[in-house]
Amino acid sequence: MGRVKIARKSTFIDMTAMSDVTVLLLTFFMLTSTFLSKEPATVITPPSVSTEKVQETNFVQVLLSPEGKVWLTMNNDTSANWSNEKMKMALLDKVAEIYNEQHKNKLSFTPEQKYAFSKLGSFGVPLAQMGEFLNLASQQEGQTQMDKWLSGEDENPNHVTGIPISWNSDEQRPNEFQMWMKAMRQTENSNLADKIKDGTGVAIKADQNTAFDVVHMVMDNLQTIHMNKFTLLTALKGPEE
Amino acid sequence: MAEVQQNDGGGKGKAHQKKMQIRVDFTPMVDMNMLLITFFMLCTTMIKSQTLTIALPSNEKVQNEENMSQASADDAVTIILDAKRKVGSFDVDTVNGKVVPIVYYYFGKPGGDAGIIGAGGTVLSENNNLQESEFLANDEKSGKARGIRDIIQKRNKDVLTEINKLKKKYQDGGFGSLETKDGREKAQAAYDQEASKVRKNENLKKPIIIIKSTPQASYGSLVSVLDEMQINSISKYQIDNMTKADSLMVIDYQNSHHK
Repeated sequence: MGRVKIARKSTFIDMTAMSDVTVLLLTFFMLTSTFLSKEPATVITPPSVSTEKVQETNFVQVLLSPEGKVWLTMNNDTSANWSNEKMKMALLDKVAEIYNEQHKNKLSFTPEQKYAFSKLGSFGVPLAQMGEFLNLASQQEGQTQMDKWLSGEDENPNHVTGIPISWNSDEQRPNEFQMWMKAMRQTENSNLADKIKDGTGVAIKADQNTAFDVVHMVMDNLQTIHMNKFTLLTALKGPEE
Repeated sequence: MAEVQQNDGGGKGKAHQKKMQIRVDFTPMVDMNMLLITFFMLCTTMIKSQTLTIALPSNEKVQNEENMSQASADDAVTIILDAKRKVGSFDVDTVNGKVVPIVYYYFGKPGGDAGIIGAGGTVLSENNNLQESEFLANDEKSGKARGIRDIIQKRNKDVLTEINKLKKKYQDGGFGSLETKDGREKAQAAYDQEASKVRKNENLKKPIIIIKSTPQASYGSLVSVLDEMQINSISKYQIDNMTKADSLMVIDYQNSHHK
């Protein structure tokens, strides 16, 4: 009567199958997702039953913080004719042109500054400070400083973030926000201009708790420059929530 | 799977050579993949935002008063959005960290037929036809509409009965079979066309909804009220500015109902 022999089993677990699964998952995530773009303010868009999807290209996003600060993002065609970089440089020229019609101290931007502007995602500083802001790009750690400036965490009290906006119903004397929006319409990208005209090209992104007063000011500004149709960005909600 | 067995070719000559097993340990590979997956899951978004298209009137003053379109008092429903916030600021109410939306509505003219000034010495609080409501989803058990939705639905009964008939027809396959994906799309398109005809049908009695909002109301309630327009098939609605009469009525209502 010998003892029952317990066979020694190897504890080696075959991870090949596991590896297969993870690689598949990884591929799925890499292909289906788009990266979150960095924005100066975090907002939670209100839920809505609307199922219309947001435009992929050719739209201007107006980001609105609860405090009433405004930043813009311009999304162009990805085609070679109207590449994002090229159109942004054109936009900066255009807005400087509109600005100079009204102000004594004229603005002009160097090619380096224009190049820096073309690489920006969201933008929004007063035009008078734009040059100084764009100069940061060529400095060491300039990107971090620009982000800080945009999100309002800059130590320098003179560095103002957000495009200056105020109640204004005089179309002949636009405020800076209206100048930017006008310039958007005037760049060579006719697809963008068409989208702005039919209303799908301007998207307002605001937090659900933002006071109506703040949103109303932006809407009123747009109405003044005859952009009466626009879209509001919302998050999806079930039909009976 | 991850192992390769080396056969020693019959094994007669080299009897003592052990069978070689080459195993590749995939555990670090899995670890790395998991890390990458986590990275992609946290840093990316797959949900695309939805949008809501709105059209506002031009800001220019209408020169000719006759050209202004007037809503008849019978059809007009004015919805005024408001919110409870911390006194004197636009900050979120700190009691529950949320803005509490309030919805007021009135039918016809402010103050009713008497008007807010009131003929014959009546005061505003007697003529105030402002009422309070809430944003509520349908009742879970009965499926009945509640709050502001119920009020809108009652005013828009004619259109909604027609729309519900169409919905039933769609579900019964009246617009084409719902079996295949292609069929569903066709049926949906046919339904949409019919529904839009009903919404624009001039013979049906339809309300005209005017949406107004106090400065402290939240942007979220504006979107909610626009949603209600879509849910209840309202074809005529307009976002407008508050008038003096509206503000007076809201203040009067708050004085008499809230502390």
